[in-house]
Amino acid sequence: MFMPTTTKNFILTREGLSQLKGEYEELVKVKRPAIANRIQRAREFGDLSENSEYDAAKEEQSLLEARIVQLEQVLAKTEIIEPVKKADFVVIGSTVVIEMNDEIHDFTIVGSMEADPASKKISNEAPVGKAVLGLQVGETIEVAVGPVKSKIKVLEIK
Amino acid sequence: MNVPIVTFPVKILNLTSSEKKVLKKLVDAAKAIAHIYQKQENPHFPGANFYPHDATKEEILEAAQNNPSILSPYTMVERNGKGRLIAIPYHLIFKKELEKASSYLREAAEITQNKDFAHRLELQANALLDGSYEASDIYWITMKPYKIDIVIGPIDRLDDRLLFKKASYEAWVGVIDEEKTKKAKIIQHAIYDVRRKVISSSAKADFLDKTTLRVDKTLIFSGLFARGMFTSNSLPVDPLLMEKYGIEITFFDSSLDFKFGKQHLPIFERIFEKRFKKEYTKECLREGSFRNVLLHEIGHSLLRYKDSESRLKEFFPVIDELSATIYGIKSCGSLVLKGIMSERELEAIMIMFVCRAFTWWIDSQTQKSVEAFAIGHALAFNHFLANGALKESGGISWPNFSKMFLGIEELSDALERLISVGTYNDAKAFIENYGSFMVYSKFSSRLKGMTGV
Repeated sequence: MFMPTTTKNFILTREGLSQLKGEYEELVKVKRPAIANRIQRAREFGDLSENSEYDAAKEEQSLLEARIVQLEQVLAKTEIIEPVKKADFVVIGSTVVIEMNDEIHDFTIVGSMEADPASKKISNEAPVGKAVLGLQVGETIEVAVGPVKSKIKVLEIK
Repeated sequence: MNVPIVTFPVKILNLTSSEKKVLKKLVDAAKAIAHIYQKQENPHFPGANFYPHDATKEEILEAAQNNPSILSPYTMVERNGKGRLIAIPYHLIFKKELEKASSYLREAAEITQNKDFAHRLELQANALLDGSYEASDIYWITMKPYKIDIVIGPIDRLDDRLLFKKASYEAWVGVIDEEKTKKAKIIQHAIYDVRRKVISSSAKADFLDKTTLRVDKTLIFSGLFARGMFTSNSLPVDPLLMEKYGIEITFFDSSLDFKFGKQHLPIFERIFEKRFKKEYTKECLREGSFRNVLLHEIGHSLLRYKDSESRLKEFFPVIDELSATIYGIKSCGSLVLKGIMSERELEAIMIMFVCRAFTWWIDSQTQKSVEAFAIGHALAFNHFLANGALKESGGISWPNFSKMFLGIEELSDALERLISVGTYNDAKAFIENYGSFMVYSKFSSRLKGMTGV
């Protein structure tokens, strides 16, 4: 799980920065007042100890506030990376095809805030992200995290 | 035996009054098929009550050559006046109970405001009465997913330990948990996105782009499901239908809650060393338990071969169920390396695999329909003890995760070969050599008081 600290910069593309700013604006200007209204309405239902709508809304509010704090920390320490042209070696922003334990994986390496496995975006801080940065096509490297060990070969850099 | 109905005390928010009425009717329909299952089940005979108890496997197979409906999943086999085996369709023999279940489904169809779901319920009601299961199943799989779901009818074949042909009546009703479904889909797609080598490409059933997944808050289990207390299901079971229309995987979070609280966690508390246990929170273990189930179903969808069942025959369920679980856990290796899953989360999955193995063993002592899962997990358990992944002293263990994950990779390769190209004799030898329950007896003193021990 990503845990922001105040001592490091957060690597983002311009697109990623714009998305995070958009998310922040929406959370602060739309969702925060909406959840406050929900809590107020739920209070009016009566006994808070038996009020499941109130409990659900309070839980949602706590998650929302945590995300707002996280985004504020990230937006204050952003380092923008420009889109990469095809490079001879893997950099942040490269889309790579690798062989890992007889399987073929393809993904784009991004800063940790933009990591999104559903869109095949893997963090530069993930073990495989760290391991392939700087490698060229054809190079291999071994990676181990606890019980998981794997030989990785870079097949293509897009 | 008691009536096979289990209801779960779930709290579901955001339902309209009409949706609540629909759910009530569906729960009534589910309850109505419990008595049919009672007529089918019989743990004292490998063929349950599907076949005459004096009929041998050879006699049944011979009779089926002239009358293939004897091996239909949807017929009861009886002897006629001359002592010959005959097949009677379920929808005729259980007509009275099925009319009751169907009428509840039609009442629900009239109440629901979702037209697709209403049509689905009508088709399902028809299927119960005339045996048109395929038309009903195809509509269900291909319709736009709806928040309320019901599966009802003769589906799983686990009770037919003689020939693995006959389907038992079962039902479940649930409401989707959107948040948990979303999280589960991240792992599902991260595993599906990888290109793998396929051992037998001609027989491989490929339908990943047509797979629907949902995590449900389950309200009721009836029939076989109430006996087996399963935590997931993947339908349909026919690989040809899967390939053409896709599959729907359902996770039963309420059932998992029950099993985790009553079995997985107490087993964890009893069999692992005190200092080892301190490292894992209850929440981490609960997630590990859920992920075992999730990975099992993902594994199933990646390991479907059209000819596995005809090659492995009655050994198919053991190999099929274990290979899915093991393959799923093996797939976590790349998730850890990609930062999608933490090392600690993978450990929790392996710990819960061990606890679930004990659960299947305990359950199999009273419920024969889960025996395939128990034998499969015993195979893995024996392998872990042999390769030093699990050491045991006085019924207490401290696992070595490096050896366990290595064992999982080795087992996964062997099982994938069996399910894709293995022969009947390969599967038989594998199970006879390594599927002994003796392995569990080393821990039995620690499990006293738990059901069946």
